[in-house]
Amino acid sequence: MSKRVLLCDDEIQIIRAAEFKIKRAGYDVAIAADGQEGWEMIQQQRPDIVVTDCQMPHLDGLGLVKKIRANPETADIPVLMLTAKGYELDQEYLFETLKILELVAKPFSPRELLKSVEQALQEQDTTDPVHT
Amino acid sequence: MNGTTLYKFSAPIASILTLTGLAVWSGGLLYYGGNLTIWLPMLAIGATFLVTAASTWHWRSKRSRAAISRYFNLLCGLDPDELRNPDALTHLPNHYANSFWRNIAAQVGRTLSHMANRIEEVEHVRQATDIRARRATADYQHIRAILESLDDPVIAIDKYDELMLANSSAESLLDIDSKNTEKRALGAVLRCQKLVDLLTNTCHCQAADKRSDEIGIRDDREQEKWFRVTASRLMAESDNEYNPEDGTQGAVAVLRCIDDHKALQRRNAEFVSAVSHEMKTPLAGIKAYVELLADGEDDDRETREEFINVINSQANRLQRLVENLLNLARMEAGVVKVDKQSRPLNEVLEEAVHVVQPSAEAKDIQLTVDLSPMYLGILADRDMLLQAAINLLSNAIKYTSQGGQVTLRSRLVDTEVRFEVEDNGVGLSEEDSTRVFEKFYRVNKNKDMAPGTGLGLPLAKHIAEDVHGGRLEVSSTLGQGSIFSITLPSSGQLSQRPVLTRPQT
Repeated sequence: MSKRVLLCDDEIQIIRAAEFKIKRAGYDVAIAADGQEGWEMIQQQRPDIVVTDCQMPHLDGLGLVKKIRANPETADIPVLMLTAKGYELDQEYLFETLKILELVAKPFSPRELLKSVEQALQEQDTTDPVHT
Repeated sequence: MNGTTLYKFSAPIASILTLTGLAVWSGGLLYYGGNLTIWLPMLAIGATFLVTAASTWHWRSKRSRAAISRYFNLLCGLDPDELRNPDALTHLPNHYANSFWRNIAAQVGRTLSHMANRIEEVEHVRQATDIRARRATADYQHIRAILESLDDPVIAIDKYDELMLANSSAESLLDIDSKNTEKRALGAVLRCQKLVDLLTNTCHCQAADKRSDEIGIRDDREQEKWFRVTASRLMAESDNEYNPEDGTQGAVAVLRCIDDHKALQRRNAEFVSAVSHEMKTPLAGIKAYVELLADGEDDDRETREEFINVINSQANRLQRLVENLLNLARMEAGVVKVDKQSRPLNEVLEEAVHVVQPSAEAKDIQLTVDLSPMYLGILADRDMLLQAAINLLSNAIKYTSQGGQVTLRSRLVDTEVRFEVEDNGVGLSEEDSTRVFEKFYRVNKNKDMAPGTGLGLPLAKHIAEDVHGGRLEVSSTLGQGSIFSITLPSSGQLSQRPVLTRPQT
């Protein structure tokens, strides 16, 4: 069964480029338009990895990751964060507290994003064999 | 024979007369032999001589007394003009001319005259000092008034680090009691140690005459205000004997509130950050799809067209953003020339309707135009107001679904002119109603309904309020529609103002 990737971004048209690339690499991809929708989708079906934008309506990327980490069921899901303003965020909070694997700067390259997703999933396989 | 010569000879004459009178009387007494015919005439002649002598003496003494009293009046009166006049001495009685008394009197006269000169000099200096003191007081009062009129707090210390001066702005900001602080150590007067250090360092460290720093000071409501404080050393040069002090006299600090400046900096940074974010988003779309094309991910023609469409729409979005941004910036900076003229509002509105009509038809939206039959005169820049009207109309069309209704109305309300755009579209929540006028703000769930930059309404608001002195307001119910209205002062009102004429009597 292919791995499930959840993409979370309010700019649907743009995130579709990532969806296209990742889908063609053989993953099962779902898209959420904001943090709230993303959280509902995570609760319905646990993804293997989450890629989320930072600035979103209703529930932003940071709020979403906080929810993921707070719930023991989802606490160990690897998260990549897409953002147009990485330098303005508190890096320590992102990496130490929210355990975000990587900040992907916008504009992003679908190719690079796919690589990061694959790498994160591989690390997940080696460290956490339960969810393989 | 003048009076002086007469006076000179009067003494010997009077003596001779006296002696003669006495001689005649003594002769008469000696030869008295009962012969009255000789004795009586002699007695009479002697008496005549004596009377004449007595009156001469009297005349002399009267004249001397007058001269002497005049002279001493002169000396005691200390009238400098008369004393300095060399003729004053000639008023001396002439019989002193070669006498010891005359020399003494002349000496006393010269001494007194010299003293009078000194007294006059002192009087001049006193008057000059008086004028200087009065002028200095006036200057001080002027400078004090100028200092008091400053909104910027000013505070000065002397070289002993004691408070010398604080204007009322400084007193209220720094909580200084003006009555109690006459000459008190600065450290005890001020709570803000940074300001104390800055002033004392400026006063005592010779390295620099001026120092400045940014200092946060808490006011009485415990709110921190930021000030740029410039402190200068007060130097004095010894200019004369009355002001012998030299060198550093103290230091003065002028505090300028930079809260506005800081807020502006913050808003600028936020704006630039928002702009870059807004630009990065379409750029992200373009780059991502270009990469997909470059990687050959488009297997069929349909996919490729889809990719190219996205790139195209994102490029258009970027272009719109740049144009709107530039428009807004130019308008806000006042680079765009405002050409305000009295013109009919309805004409501008009809033109706006003409511009948006095609987009309304494309969405099958019924655009109702209900303009006031009255002449609604406004003082406005045609292009700008047209832009604002178009923005409101096209917004209404954008966020109203297929087949909806948009109405444009214009009315005269009291002394103002109002036009409003009503739609039965998606409407706004209470929070969104207040935020739609923020730059780049777009209601999230409506983003997909139409392309936009989040700059149309801020631009319209700027045009209505900042350029034309009117108001742009919104009332909206979520899910039922919105009414955006612009109210402008009526230009007709200006000319209808009654002209007051002075009543004829």
